[in-house]
Amino acid sequence: MTTPKVVFYNVLRFFLLILLQVLVLNNIYLGGFINPYFYIYFILLLPFEIPGGLLLLFSFLVGAGVDFFSNTLGLNISACLAMAYARPYVISWISSGPDSLNGDSPSLKNQGLKWFLYYSISLILIHHFVLFYLEAFRFAEFFKTFFRMILSGTFTLLLVMISEYLFYPKEK
Amino acid sequence: MRNLYVFLRKHYFILLFLLLETVSLLLLFNFNEFQNTALVDLSGNFTGSINTAFRNISEYFSLRQTNKTLVEEMAKLHSRLPDAYYKSDAYSFYRNDTVFKLQYRYISAKVISNTTNKRNNFLMISKGSVQGVRNHMGVVIGNRIVGQVVSVSPHFSWIMSMLNKDSRISGKFKKNNQLVNVEWPGGNYRYGSVKEVPKHVDIIPGDTIVTSGNSDIFPEGIMIGTISDFTAAPDENFNSGTILFSTDFNSLGYVEIVVDLMRKEKEDLKATFKGE
Repeated sequence: MTTPKVVFYNVLRFFLLILLQVLVLNNIYLGGFINPYFYIYFILLLPFEIPGGLLLLFSFLVGAGVDFFSNTLGLNISACLAMAYARPYVISWISSGPDSLNGDSPSLKNQGLKWFLYYSISLILIHHFVLFYLEAFRFAEFFKTFFRMILSGTFTLLLVMISEYLFYPKEK
Repeated sequence: MRNLYVFLRKHYFILLFLLLETVSLLLLFNFNEFQNTALVDLSGNFTGSINTAFRNISEYFSLRQTNKTLVEEMAKLHSRLPDAYYKSDAYSFYRNDTVFKLQYRYISAKVISNTTNKRNNFLMISKGSVQGVRNHMGVVIGNRIVGQVVSVSPHFSWIMSMLNKDSRISGKFKKNNQLVNVEWPGGNYRYGSVKEVPKHVDIIPGDTIVTSGNSDIFPEGIMIGTISDFTAAPDENFNSGTILFSTDFNSLGYVEIVVDLMRKEKEDLKATFKGE
């Protein structure tokens, strides 16, 4: 049920989010080291019915796009792939059944606040966990890395929720 | 054969995931050998041009700071010109070229991308091998440390910032020349840690740490920072402390690359010694 409109919005989101991430968000340092990884919003909003292969492929590409600009080739890709792999399982765990999903893609408007919060928190955590621990790559800094991961994750979640409210407001 | 096809069809999601994840991990652990020039060539031309365009806009926001740094630097240089000296004796400023031989030359370059919030931070600058930048050259700003060149393409270079887990700078106390190692433990970009301070050295907060000149990367006496905190560790052989970097890594607009004109001579000397 993929309409050209859905494809167009996803392609647009792909490029806009990569540019936003590398040009703006990568230069934001709250408290010295808190950095949101908002580009994964692209993976969060891919349609429900996207084939598994395409889901993995697009996640690979969006991760590669961000990696190219930060010269960390492989780092964001690995994190995005882990997130994409978990996505179908997370969706089936938190939904009551395939029929309970309204609309084409996950959204706050169609799925409700509770569903969307569970969905984004679990996927953001998976992505950030892989990203931060691959980057640090030593267990000596376990708790410090954990702390950074939680703070950045909170910030990412905040941006995701703000954009949901901004771009997909509830109909009265 | 048919069974294989059925198997692949049934489990293609996890198989594709494992395949792609392996590819990305291979990329991460092989390509991020930071000396890999091919990667910088490939990505540098494209991302470099986008980053340059963005920097061209964003550097307007820090013009005041850049200007201040330049003026300070200029004043310092002016004060060293012969004109700035009062000539009390016609012969006192005679300069003998066999006594003073130029050892360091500086190339200035614009910073076009920079991070301080990662565990491993890098800068990209707008000069490359065409302008004479080579691998392992030191990078400073004024008289303060920034990092070292790890990868060079014709027009851009990639610099490993001091704020990197692989950065390990040999420094010394300015007051008594005791050697120490300076690293960055992550977290706040203003603070680093000083390792391997011998027990008998008194550390007082405020002590200045400068580069030792022992490595071929930095000249001697480049400012690293000042000691801000120090705790004695009675159980170990060495003490350690916290250092406040003199460089504000978050506001770098222009940097200078140190070209050591005598580096080859030093390396040749080492090579001959090894050969004996």
